[in-house]
Amino acid sequence: MAQKRRSIWVFGDYRNYFQNRVTLQLLSRATDLAEKIDAEVCATVFGHEVDEWVGEYIAHGAAKVYVCDNPGLKFYSTDIYVALMERIVRQYGPEIILVGATSFGREFTPRLAKRLKTGLTADCVGLDIDDAGLLVQTAPAFGGNLLTRIVTPEKRPQMATVRPGVFQEIPHNYQATGEIVNVPLSGDLPKDRVRLISSERQASREQKLGEAPVVVCGGRGMGSKTRFKNLFELARVLGGEVGATRPVVYAKWADEDALVGQADRHISPKVLFSFGVSGAIQHTAGIKNTGFIIAVNKNPNAAMMKMADVAIVADAGQVCTALIRELKKRIRT
Amino acid sequence: MEFDACMKHKLVRKSVREFAEAELGPVAHEIDQEARFPLEVVEKMRPLNFFGLQVPKEYGGAGIDSISYAIAIEEISRVSGSLGLCLTVHNSVGISPILRYGTKEQKERFVPRLSGGECIGAFCLTEANAGSDAGGVETHAVFTGGQYVINGTKIFVTNGGVCGLPLIFAITDPQARPGRNASVFIMEKGMPGFSVGEIEDLCGMRANPVSSLFFEDCRVGRENLLGKEGDGLKIGLDALDIGRIGIGAQAVGIAQAAYEASVKYSRERQQFRKPISSFQSIQNMLADMATEIDAARLLVYRASERKDSGRPFGKEASMAKLYASATASRVTGKAVQIHGGYGYSKEYDVERYFRDAKVTEIYEGTSEIQRMVISRAILAEPV
Amino acid sequence: MLKMIVCMKQVPMVSDLPWDPVTGTLTRDAAEGMMNPACKHALEAALMLKERHGGHITAMTMGPPMAEEILREAIALGADRCLMVSDPKMAGADTLATSFTLARAIEIFCPDFDLILCGCHTSDSETAQVGPQLAEELDIPSIAAVEDLDLRGNTLRIKRVSDNFLETLEMDTPGLVTVATGFFMPRYASMAGLQDAFREPGILTVGARDLGLGEDAVGLQGSATRIVDIFSPVAKKENIVLKGAPKKIVEELFERFDDTIGSLIRKDLKAVE
Repeated sequence: MAQKRRSIWVFGDYRNYFQNRVTLQLLSRATDLAEKIDAEVCATVFGHEVDEWVGEYIAHGAAKVYVCDNPGLKFYSTDIYVALMERIVRQYGPEIILVGATSFGREFTPRLAKRLKTGLTADCVGLDIDDAGLLVQTAPAFGGNLLTRIVTPEKRPQMATVRPGVFQEIPHNYQATGEIVNVPLSGDLPKDRVRLISSERQASREQKLGEAPVVVCGGRGMGSKTRFKNLFELARVLGGEVGATRPVVYAKWADEDALVGQADRHISPKVLFSFGVSGAIQHTAGIKNTGFIIAVNKNPNAAMMKMADVAIVADAGQVCTALIRELKKRIRT
Repeated sequence: MEFDACMKHKLVRKSVREFAEAELGPVAHEIDQEARFPLEVVEKMRPLNFFGLQVPKEYGGAGIDSISYAIAIEEISRVSGSLGLCLTVHNSVGISPILRYGTKEQKERFVPRLSGGECIGAFCLTEANAGSDAGGVETHAVFTGGQYVINGTKIFVTNGGVCGLPLIFAITDPQARPGRNASVFIMEKGMPGFSVGEIEDLCGMRANPVSSLFFEDCRVGRENLLGKEGDGLKIGLDALDIGRIGIGAQAVGIAQAAYEASVKYSRERQQFRKPISSFQSIQNMLADMATEIDAARLLVYRASERKDSGRPFGKEASMAKLYASATASRVTGKAVQIHGGYGYSKEYDVERYFRDAKVTEIYEGTSEIQRMVISRAILAEPV
Repeated sequence: MLKMIVCMKQVPMVSDLPWDPVTGTLTRDAAEGMMNPACKHALEAALMLKERHGGHITAMTMGPPMAEEILREAIALGADRCLMVSDPKMAGADTLATSFTLARAIEIFCPDFDLILCGCHTSDSETAQVGPQLAEELDIPSIAAVEDLDLRGNTLRIKRVSDNFLETLEMDTPGLVTVATGFFMPRYASMAGLQDAFREPGILTVGARDLGLGEDAVGLQGSATRIVDIFSPVAKKENIVLKGAPKKIVEELFERFDDTIGSLIRKDLKAVE
């Protein structure tokens, strides 16, 4: 009998497919990792009428897709998904399981790992294979101010949830072929102890801020509520959102939902304009994934200024006004 | 004696600091600039027992120990000296005399209103011709027709603009020897003849509505007399002993804020391509500031600890007040110096700390009076 | 009566990052501890339920002896009872070992609970895993990151946003929820509460032996994961400094970084401006 080939599994999280490409990103990374340990990349798809996703995952690198198709799997359910996943994991014995660190992923995966009595690393921002063939998982700690490298030496599978946006998906290839394994669901589905009463899609402001390509963030250095209001105009002209530091929210210059930093209030804009922000780590924890930072502060030694691509030593309010003026001029011409 | 190291005191400090930084911090600068008493913050302080810190539970207070009390005043003052002042005056000289000298009826009638923060307290001794010299008080209370008729003007009353139940010091027996001629009355806002003057335009503590109080033919019954007739000076001196712990704590808090700002600024501010904290002259200032603040704090906690253990603490409270207030002035002065031109700007908080600190050397007994109290105590000790 | 357990963790103060950038090591001892912010929200949710329906709250933590402080704080805020799980052998536990240990303590010392509340994640290790894993270990249902909850009979009704979906969910007790930050804004401890919190001299503290657990079941030995190393991400920024008059700075900004910020100009606003 041929030796059972090792495999790396990616949990197929297809809800919010167009915004959330984490499954595709993980298939891409899994392909790189699989080369190093001579494994095959597999995906799992739970749901009902899921052919579309099965095809997508094969096109993005899955050599094999395990499919559980049942009307009762239409809505994501931690209880049911954990029970099914446990069953097929025990049957096929993957070496590694990767799950996107979406809300569902971060709720479902810990229970699964516990059920399988194995290790799990949360919200990874890096994955690699070490010389011993172990999965090295890099996870943030202390609001992203520190990174920790973690391995699971003995227990299997090695499991990680991975932050969306860390890895690049590979372009789809609809010529690619893969094996589809339809997992037979004998009898009733496992029982779900959580009842879904209603579910509606919504785009809250907070998420708009989290996903905004441009964010204009203000701190106490804006001086007053009146001057802070100019940031909203700047954000409008830039097509961005306004973020705020904790003291500003306390002072009621901005709403609570504008808060950036700590407690999952992360933003990841391509460009961040930071006005009068000192850069306390509570705040900077929330902007670790920012592309280009332009910081304005009278104090050239503020932490925020040190971490900026461009540090402007000047009054934040005045620069804000000048920037609005310049942008409007350029819009007109 | 490990004053601050115990878990309880650490937690009290963290809890008060969390509240002060979150709720008072955002307005501390503005209320000073606008000379505004922040009622919206006071509203939030009420249910947290800030207005009945040492009042026993049965009268609606928190019943905390004196070191916790000092820490609470210190942490509020670290963010806003003006609010720290409001609290210490209210809790110490505003309430403690009623707890100590009041009848059961008086305690039941007045203390819950004070400890719940429904009424803010005040203690009125100072007049145009009386301050350090209590003998110069001209406000008098004449007993006639079963009531006291009170006439006089009190000036520089801390909390004056917002007080609901001020204690006032008035002459009841002009013929008696000084020390036995005065009494303390509990006055109530809204009494006919009781009015409040303009809010004073002061150098510091600007968010505290310091004002004059006027009493014109104000009539109160015996039930508003605290203690016995002639007890005035004793009650006053007693209250001030407790008050001095609070003022000492307040001075420590202001100094602490100035010191923290200085450490932060000296690390950030660069001159000659180096942070100024790398210069020995700045380092020396920071070292002195830290040492003096620590010494002042320990003096305050020692007085508090003596008070709680039932030992005499008057001399210790005076020492704490004398040293802590002088420390606050020195430390805030150095903080301005370290900040250079920015320290002199109203945009930075150290300028406010500097203005707020000075008065701690003046009120509730000037430094000169403290030295008098201390030296008398020393010289009265057996050889 | 609704019997609740709030699991909480002491974390280093956010303002003191326990990291020495010069030596590149953790300086955990130096940092002051505090109640993990999300745990405070969880406690607030429990207090809200208690105020609404009556109930009893046990505050529970696993950690070094100094973590007693957050249990005292929980009492000051309104918890009724504390349970401290502390043993040097439990050091270095990952989420698997932590949830295992907490579950055993709950089974022995508060077996008749209706609801367990945890913070949705900690500010130090940020895994958000202990809550769901504790539920799994106790074989009870769980819902993560709840924003609103209430009780009808023995059914919990919960609202939360999960991956852009606003969900209303129900589960029967006993169950576990992790509470999102941003909701159930924590109250401040009152001075009377703080005074009361220290009235009892001791706090019920249990170790591995009290839980009938061997050394291999708890702490690092009971953990599946191992930390290889901890490091500080290095920012590779050029950090260009601009000074001068605001107008000149803004012009320079557009000149030098036109490729980055030039593209942000909203030509679509042309018509309206």
